[in-house]
Amino acid sequence: MTTPQIRIIEGDTVIDRDMNADELIEYEAMQEAAAVRAVADADKASARQAVLNRLGISADEAALLLS
Amino acid sequence: MPNEQTTVPLFVAAEILTAVDMNLSAGTGVPVFTNSTTRDAAFGGAGEKVLAEGQLCYLSDSNIVQYYSGASWATVGPASASALVRVGGGTLSGASTTFSNVFSATYDSYLILVAGVYGSTSTNINLKLGSTTTGYYWARNLTTTSATTSISGLANTSNFDDMSATGATLANSTALQFYLHAPFLTQQTNLSWAHWGDSNSYGVGAGQLRNSTSYTAFTLTMQSGTFSGGTVNIYGYSLS
Repeated sequence: MTTPQIRIIEGDTVIDRDMNADELIEYEAMQEAAAVRAVADADKASARQAVLNRLGISADEAALLLS
Repeated sequence: MPNEQTTVPLFVAAEILTAVDMNLSAGTGVPVFTNSTTRDAAFGGAGEKVLAEGQLCYLSDSNIVQYYSGASWATVGPASASALVRVGGGTLSGASTTFSNVFSATYDSYLILVAGVYGSTSTNINLKLGSTTTGYYWARNLTTTSATTSISGLANTSNFDDMSATGATLANSTALQFYLHAPFLTQQTNLSWAHWGDSNSYGVGAGQLRNSTSYTAFTLTMQSGTFSGGTVNIYGYSLS
């Protein structure tokens, strides 16, 4: 697997290099947290749709009720 | 030779110009130098004028006029004519891009304009200050062109997360505008931002990094894949 690259810009100086070990750990932790959030968002959307289904209304109709 | 003049001479036809006359005329003009180093070397040597209060110069490298106060050189006029001064920027690349040494004691608040951002995959963008990975608090309201909205927020996370979704082509790129207050000061940093996302979604948000660390750098990171395009311009708000 290719090591992710990081670019560092300071003034006119641009350095492109592989992430070091610490940067890689932080990057992978960030990706894992984003994946957890995505699953939580999907679960929330599913739960919302289930409620709409039980009520027999669409999302637009639910928005009208709440506006 | 001091620079204070007591007269502005007018020479007449056939008048003999003495060295004093010529020095008065030539020595009080505005000499032009490549930079401050060549300027400093041009005074006080053999056959050279001794630097004195009131001396003017023009520096080609920075396009400014300066005067000598008797103790140091100072720039004529305001250091900047603009309320916003560009302090850094560049092109996004890799999985993340860090902008180093952009925050300083010169400014308290900064405007960061990010445009044309797209990646190797459709994903979201995070913002981090320095190397801090804790203490980020934020909330955002996202609205689509079909008038659906979503409100999200997180407390004490490792980044300002999900700043904007971006697509995988320039046509689906995103743009962001960050207002950052006090990243360099030893107090909490406040952030507000607006973004124009990749799929008819637009949002505004605000947040805080709750610590008293002084920062000089920030990093934008793709949550997956790499930046394929995007430019960043960073400006400091003038304090006066």
